[in-house]
Amino acid sequence: MTWRSDRLRWGAAAKGLHWLMALGIIGAGVLGLVMTGMDRGMAKINAFAIHKSIGLTVLALFVLRLAWRFFDRRPADLPMPRLQRIAAHAVHGILYLLMLAIPLAGWLYNSARGYPLQWFKQFNLPALVAKNEGLAEFAIAAHVWLFWILVAVLVAHVGGALLHHFFERDDTLRRMLPFARLRHPPSGESP
Amino acid sequence: MTRPSTLAFLLAGALALPAFAADYSVGANSTLGFTADFQGEKFNGSFRSFEAVIAYDAEHPEASKFDVTIDLASVATGDSDRDDALPGSEFFAVKQHPKARYTTSGFRKDGDQVIADGTLTLKGIRKPVSLRVTFTPAAGGAVLEVATTLKRLDFDVGSGEYADTSTIGNEVAVNGRLELTAKE
Repeated sequence: MTWRSDRLRWGAAAKGLHWLMALGIIGAGVLGLVMTGMDRGMAKINAFAIHKSIGLTVLALFVLRLAWRFFDRRPADLPMPRLQRIAAHAVHGILYLLMLAIPLAGWLYNSARGYPLQWFKQFNLPALVAKNEGLAEFAIAAHVWLFWILVAVLVAHVGGALLHHFFERDDTLRRMLPFARLRHPPSGESP
Repeated sequence: MTRPSTLAFLLAGALALPAFAADYSVGANSTLGFTADFQGEKFNGSFRSFEAVIAYDAEHPEASKFDVTIDLASVATGDSDRDDALPGSEFFAVKQHPKARYTTSGFRKDGDQVIADGTLTLKGIRKPVSLRVTFTPAAGGAVLEVATTLKRLDFDVGSGEYADTSTIGNEVAVNGRLELTAKE
């Protein structure tokens, strides 16, 4: 496996970023849903701190991923109906926007509420804006609404991948999986 | 028998001690606050209600006396969650210990710096605490600034799970700025 993607499959860097971010997004999302209902105490403070730390990590990985994307080539689309291809690319585009907007809205809320922002107790990040209760309310509403949109778009993303894998029986999912072999290797039919 | 000699001793003491420490009243714009550390970021707090009995002699600091009583429930840090938590049993426990009190036992000089030695009683715990004292005469009175650094865990502030100093720092800087007016 090489770092860069080729005509047929994603490279190690794209795969690593994809699955690391998937893990982070799911972790931050589940923690985010749980933590708000917790009783006041150190466990709640720590849950928020970890949620924020994971969110910042996802944001950093997103920047890295976007930069890598400009440098890396992309596997060609597998044969599929035009509408399906447009839908898949639209879903990817929306996911990219949400991976940027959701952590930023969280950071904005955190800043506007005047909370500290610390990455896994290692270092602190500055506030984006000064304390502002009205802005905080807007930012947290955006953070939560964008999250639910993300859930809906992820259903389409994961559902699409599974449909390709189990019904179309093509390599859409396999070429993103860490160790899977392609069903249609390069020696076979044209990609 | 011993009375005359005791009296002579007291007189001699009174003469030797320049007991000219002036009594001051504390103006409404005075502040008593602290700076603490939460998740790697400093935050400021203040006590909206406190009483200070101040006698001070800049020439002979050893004749001075502070007696400060702080209404702990009046704490404000600019964050409603924190302000709700601080009066609770894990932090100031204002139900059991509504007031903190600091009284001086003596004053000394460390170079040019005046140091007040005394005792702070907070959350039922008595510990010696020294303050750096800066006294600046002003028209009709003076500005008195005091500063020190405490360890919150010495006074059990933030007990139990909140004792975790990787989230809430142990050291708390305390600062006061009193606007003094000379009493008649």
